[in-house]
Amino acid sequence: MNGSAEPSKRVCEVRIDMVDYDPNLIGSVFEVTDPVPVTAEMVKDFCQAIGESGPLYTEDDAARQGPHGGIVAPPSYAITFRNGRQFFEHIPRFGRQGFDAGKDVEFVAPIRPGDTITLSSHVKEIYEKTGRTGSMVFVVVRSTLKNQNDEVVAHVDHRFMNRP
Amino acid sequence: MSTILDLHSHSEASEDSRAPLEAYLNWLKLRRAERPVEGIVLTEHRQFNKDADYRTLEDKFNILVLKASEIETDYGHMLVFGVTDEMTRRFDFANVHLPAQEIIDEVAGMGGAVVPCHPGRPNVGLFEHYSKKQPLQNVIAVEVYNGGSRKGEDERSQELAQRFGYGEVGGSDSHLVSLIGLCATRFEADVRNIEELVNELKRGAFEPVDFRPRRKPVQPAVAVEVK
Repeated sequence: MNGSAEPSKRVCEVRIDMVDYDPNLIGSVFEVTDPVPVTAEMVKDFCQAIGESGPLYTEDDAARQGPHGGIVAPPSYAITFRNGRQFFEHIPRFGRQGFDAGKDVEFVAPIRPGDTITLSSHVKEIYEKTGRTGSMVFVVVRSTLKNQNDEVVAHVDHRFMNRP
Repeated sequence: MSTILDLHSHSEASEDSRAPLEAYLNWLKLRRAERPVEGIVLTEHRQFNKDADYRTLEDKFNILVLKASEIETDYGHMLVFGVTDEMTRRFDFANVHLPAQEIIDEVAGMGGAVVPCHPGRPNVGLFEHYSKKQPLQNVIAVEVYNGGSRKGEDERSQELAQRFGYGEVGGSDSHLVSLIGLCATRFEADVRNIEELVNELKRGAFEPVDFRPRRKPVQPAVAVEVK
């Protein structure tokens, strides 16, 4: 055994088999949507649709005395904002098959009636893994939601699985 | 004197787990009677969290928390214990095609130990690769109890581990809080840190333990005469 024999060269040999992509893909924003206004009516409708009855989201008086000083949208309202038409065209694909492997949502700040929300999307991460069914390449696209003050209100990470 | 450790678990640092470490430890504390595990090893996928410090949580719950890694090789997935800077410089843990024999030999030389996990699993288990390639040299143990195994996988692991004379360990492979500690390894000696764990793996004085609840057999259907 010789652990120090040409380590960098041998690691490079191994990397030949790894998924190949342009590293400039990572981090570059490929889409920014038009601002979407949020109205009190929309928040109310959303609460009714999901059965949300929490007073911080539905009752003016209680919300005014709450931590946000007024009604805010429930956190899950963040996932109602749609990406633009070009979204799927910009997602890197590896192989011919794949599917939506889920979403992670990070709620950063409340969304309030009166806000206008803009989504900007970039490829956050590309990684490969192996499992019972074979090799997979995962592409994670992050959509960042910002309000009219350029404050981040949420991050939505879309995870797509590809079968190379 | 003995120590029971769950040698294989994933916290939210792994991309496919949503389990916070504190929730794991709380779960084990609440279920100590069913799963008498004294420590867990976080084996995050394709990475090693060198800077993560879990001492506060260890003290709070009085449960040992050790760090290792689950890597992906040309012979399936393997747990690497005793990870050092030298190892992570030498091998790119994110590479899913790492050369297993080099990993086993060089990690041992750098003071660590490698244990193939879920070896009876299709595609990513050691023994499927043995049906196509030469067996590996210097394998000290394999994981014969894996909490995520499907029917027949652990049995295959045990059968082949015995055929090849490998030591046998267990781990939950937990990605969810409620699955932590379902499978583990009982070490003959006390194990209080990663160096002692590596030493005991190399010494071979351990056995796998299985805390999974046994399912009651399903009663055969009885024909009922309809009048």
